[in-house]
Amino acid sequence: MSNKAKYKTAPLKCWKKAKELRLKYYDDYAKAHERGGLRWAGGAWTFSAIPSGLGEDVVSLTSEPYGASIAYNKEFSLRCLEATEKKGYARDLCSYMRNYWGSILLDEYVFGGPFPKPDFLWQDHICCSHAKWYQVVSDLEGGIPHFCIDVAVGPYEEVAPHKVDYLVAQMHDGIEWLEKTTGRKYNDELLIEAVKNEFRSTSKWAEICALNKNIPAPLEEKTMYSLYVLGTLNKHDKSTADFYDELRDEVQERVAEGIAAIPNERCRLMSDTQPPWGFLSIFRYMEQFGALSVGSLYTFGLVGIWEDKPDGTWGPRTTPMDQGIEIKDRDQALRLYADWMLSKPEWQHFYSPHIKTEMMIRIAKEWHLDGVMLHYNRGCEGLSVGIAENRLGLIEAGYPVMAFEGNMGDEREFDEARVKDRFDAFMETLDMKK
Amino acid sequence: MITAGIDIGAKTIKVVLAEDGKVLGKSRVLAGIDTAAATQTALDEALANAGLTKEKVDRFMATGTGRKDCAITDREITEVGAAAKGAVHIHKACRSVVDVGAEEGRMVRCNERGKVIDFAYNEKCAAGAGTFAEGMARALQVTVEELGSLALQSKEAVQMNAQCAVFAESEVVTLIHNKTPREAIARAVLDATASRIISMVRKVGFEKDFVLIGGVALNPGFVKAMKRGLESDVYVPEDPEYIGALGAALAAAE
Amino acid sequence: MASQVGLDQETFETFRNWRIKRAEYAKQWKERTGGKIIGYFCTYVPEELLYAAGILPVRILGSHEVQDVTEPHIFAMFCPFCRDCLAQGLKGRFDYLDGITIAQSCLHIRQSYTSWEKHVPVDFSYYLPMPHHVQSKHAVPFLIKELELFKAKLEQWLGRKIEDKAIEEAVEIYNRNRQLMWRVFELRQGESPPLTGEEAMEVVLSSQMVDKREHNAALEKLLGRLAERTTDRPTGTRLMILGSEDDDIEFIRMVESCGATFVIDDHCTGTRYFWNNVEPNSNQLAGIAERYVKRVPCPSKDWPERTRVPHVLELARKYDVQGAIVMQQKFCDPHEIDTPALTKALNDAGIKTLFLEFDVTVPIGQFKVRVEAFLEMLQEDDLF
Ligand code: SF4
Repeated sequence: MSNKAKYKTAPLKCWKKAKELRLKYYDDYAKAHERGGLRWAGGAWTFSAIPSGLGEDVVSLTSEPYGASIAYNKEFSLRCLEATEKKGYARDLCSYMRNYWGSILLDEYVFGGPFPKPDFLWQDHICCSHAKWYQVVSDLEGGIPHFCIDVAVGPYEEVAPHKVDYLVAQMHDGIEWLEKTTGRKYNDELLIEAVKNEFRSTSKWAEICALNKNIPAPLEEKTMYSLYVLGTLNKHDKSTADFYDELRDEVQERVAEGIAAIPNERCRLMSDTQPPWGFLSIFRYMEQFGALSVGSLYTFGLVGIWEDKPDGTWGPRTTPMDQGIEIKDRDQALRLYADWMLSKPEWQHFYSPHIKTEMMIRIAKEWHLDGVMLHYNRGCEGLSVGIAENRLGLIEAGYPVMAFEGNMGDEREFDEARVKDRFDAFMETLDMKK
Repeated sequence: MITAGIDIGAKTIKVVLAEDGKVLGKSRVLAGIDTAAATQTALDEALANAGLTKEKVDRFMATGTGRKDCAITDREITEVGAAAKGAVHIHKACRSVVDVGAEEGRMVRCNERGKVIDFAYNEKCAAGAGTFAEGMARALQVTVEELGSLALQSKEAVQMNAQCAVFAESEVVTLIHNKTPREAIARAVLDATASRIISMVRKVGFEKDFVLIGGVALNPGFVKAMKRGLESDVYVPEDPEYIGALGAALAAAE
Repeated sequence: MASQVGLDQETFETFRNWRIKRAEYAKQWKERTGGKIIGYFCTYVPEELLYAAGILPVRILGSHEVQDVTEPHIFAMFCPFCRDCLAQGLKGRFDYLDGITIAQSCLHIRQSYTSWEKHVPVDFSYYLPMPHHVQSKHAVPFLIKELELFKAKLEQWLGRKIEDKAIEEAVEIYNRNRQLMWRVFELRQGESPPLTGEEAMEVVLSSQMVDKREHNAALEKLLGRLAERTTDRPTGTRLMILGSEDDDIEFIRMVESCGATFVIDDHCTGTRYFWNNVEPNSNQLAGIAERYVKRVPCPSKDWPERTRVPHVLELARKYDVQGAIVMQQKFCDPHEIDTPALTKALNDAGIKTLFLEFDVTVPIGQFKVRVEAFLEMLQEDDLF
């Protein structure tokens, strides 16, 4: 197959807007106090719709994307990592977490100014580092109230009422705690609105990813990172849900018109786990071979919520609204919310790599992949857990796999030249030439 | 057609000149700081060895970790690709190649045409490469060659407890102080290196025949440790350190 | 300083033999009782339930031998302990197991279970989603339901019911074991403890491998002997050891050969294993759930409060600890995150710490140099 341009391409119109929304998010957080609002911090997976019931002026800073934003700025990241190490924290801990702690220790916000201290911490826990992350944040900031919800009740295929109950009971406690901690009265209307937004945005994101099954792929993964990020910041916010509607329309249009992400697409791959944020240039390098990553379980399923469609394919999960369910009260909202989140693809592998392998094979089939690149990511125990078994499983299923070691947020553990070298060798095995 | 394979490694540069699969000449020089100059020297020496001039060479092909900086040609093949080609050429039944150089080890599984099917690298761990054995030999005050023959004489197997190269060096010193026989220490060092490499081999999964190349393959103690660990025969070609360069020369002719 | 080092053969032989010949023991037990054996990966597994079903629960531990078989299965950024455990399975060293189980704790050890499940097939395997939010009042009700599911799965596998009466009896035997362990450990509070840290470790480790009934009998005998035992071994510096999974007897022995004695620990291979009892409860599963939720936690479950800090300080006070060795398995994230806070608390309480990172094998020589320097520093403190 030749490596010539055969598809038309066009820049994504929504791109600029995604960028603006992202910057606005970080700016809103920094300025919340000036505007009389409240600031909270927690993970990208936390039940972010719940604090919304405290008022429209309550804004968040999610930890992982913030850690990634730091990683993108190599000079600052190095200072952060070193500050954390100086404090006695081990070098092999989650690198987002170490970047984040460093930013507090240096009292520098990567978007300018001092680090904006959160008023409270609102977290969920499935990776060992989740709750512990904020235990340390609280230590470093001289004490911040911290509430965390355990979501590790087992894979969704085994979901049962008592598992949902456990989450919902903690959520109710959490709301009580929020009222006590902030002295504000909780508004269920706002909660219901936020939960609905979240159903909408996370289902829509899955729909967008599903459009990438098309040949040529309308999006490639490096671009997707800049789009999916909104779902890791503000998945419960109307702005995100609306943006994904708009984006879906545009991607649909690209598919209809045969607009490709890269003109010479001939080798479709997927990656796995977070990329090394300081070195996204490797994706451009791949394109020289006509290779692109059409996504990953990570970009699809960290934010996106999926389900089996009647025809057996994987597609966006039908929202309760689309099922005609009317959400009337707090308990019902929380219950639907818990069940929704428990079906998150990126939560399943925490219990078994074999479930993840199945999902990956499914993606490989439905997205027509030629191979897989596994990022053995030393920066994230949560997403690297079981990755070696995924490799074995994919090979067994007949997919060529390239494994490369690196770190999403600590550039000292990523060797760009070496990884390109590995990629060359991988392309050689697939008979792809530049 | 006469072709030249240039293997630019971490420590040394190897050049092989070949025609129709036959080696005409070869050379090896230390890479040093000025890689370009060293590459030129290596090529000149190989040409002299073959009694040829540069004009006679139809094609060049670079390989090795430094191949992108090769001043002589911009045609390149990865080191795993070259290793597989070279090894299968020398030993037809070869399906697995392990290449242990100064700074890293590589495992390649290939088909009968020398095409790579899967591969893995041993990175991040100096204990799985040649430099480690060198350091340990220094601590024992012997040369690497002596380390190998010492190891062969050992009747006992002691275990290296240190899991990292830095601690390993002082552990060797401790073992010396504890009057552990030098033969046993030498064996422990090479067993430790082999164990790292075998871990990597298992990751890719190995098929017979198994060919060991790279500078470390010259160490008989290491080869024995590999055989022991893999419970399999291991073939070491003559001139194992030139197989990558040979593979590149063969690829150039294709 | 001349001191008796190592294990008093006579008194501790039974325990040590159980540990060293664990496979032999297990096979004999099977023959003798006709029962099944389940290997477990984490001490959050409610052993009482298994025992009540006539199953012998045994903990899967590593061998401290360098190995090359786990690289294809577990990425090297995870702790050496989880790889060592899996290696035992891949090498067939636990060929007597009828099943395996794990209670959810850290991500590392989970991988030994999931790889074992696939590559060393056994008849029965079960992942118990042990809650993490043990400080929430909702953890117990959730776990009760999970225990019901676990029980049902076991019953289905065995083809018979697990009676309440049997659970009650199992709880009694396990509680008895805990009480006896407590009494043995209490003796270490005295000015000259009648047993060393190495001996104590043998006692705990073996308790994770053998039938608790037999262990109880051995403990009673041991208590009788310890009451009369006088050692000519000077206690030296009183140390505590705490951190990740640790069954490195060789290390303990080395430290105790340097003029020190371990008088207490906070390990899941030590006090954390037996510290808490199952309290009487008309609902047996509720009693068990309560015990596992409220036990001294693994750091992966110790949030939002760090309850281990006051617990460790209290141990240090009660056992009159002069210095603490804070160890961790290399890459053990949950412990790594807690180490700075724990070290600070100990130091603030006037207890100096030495931090060491363990691997499958530890470089004894290098560690000895560090330990000696640490002990020297503590002894100097004593002079002034
Ligand atoms: S290790 Fe990975 S999953 Fe865990 S907190 Fe860090 S980024 Fe999240």
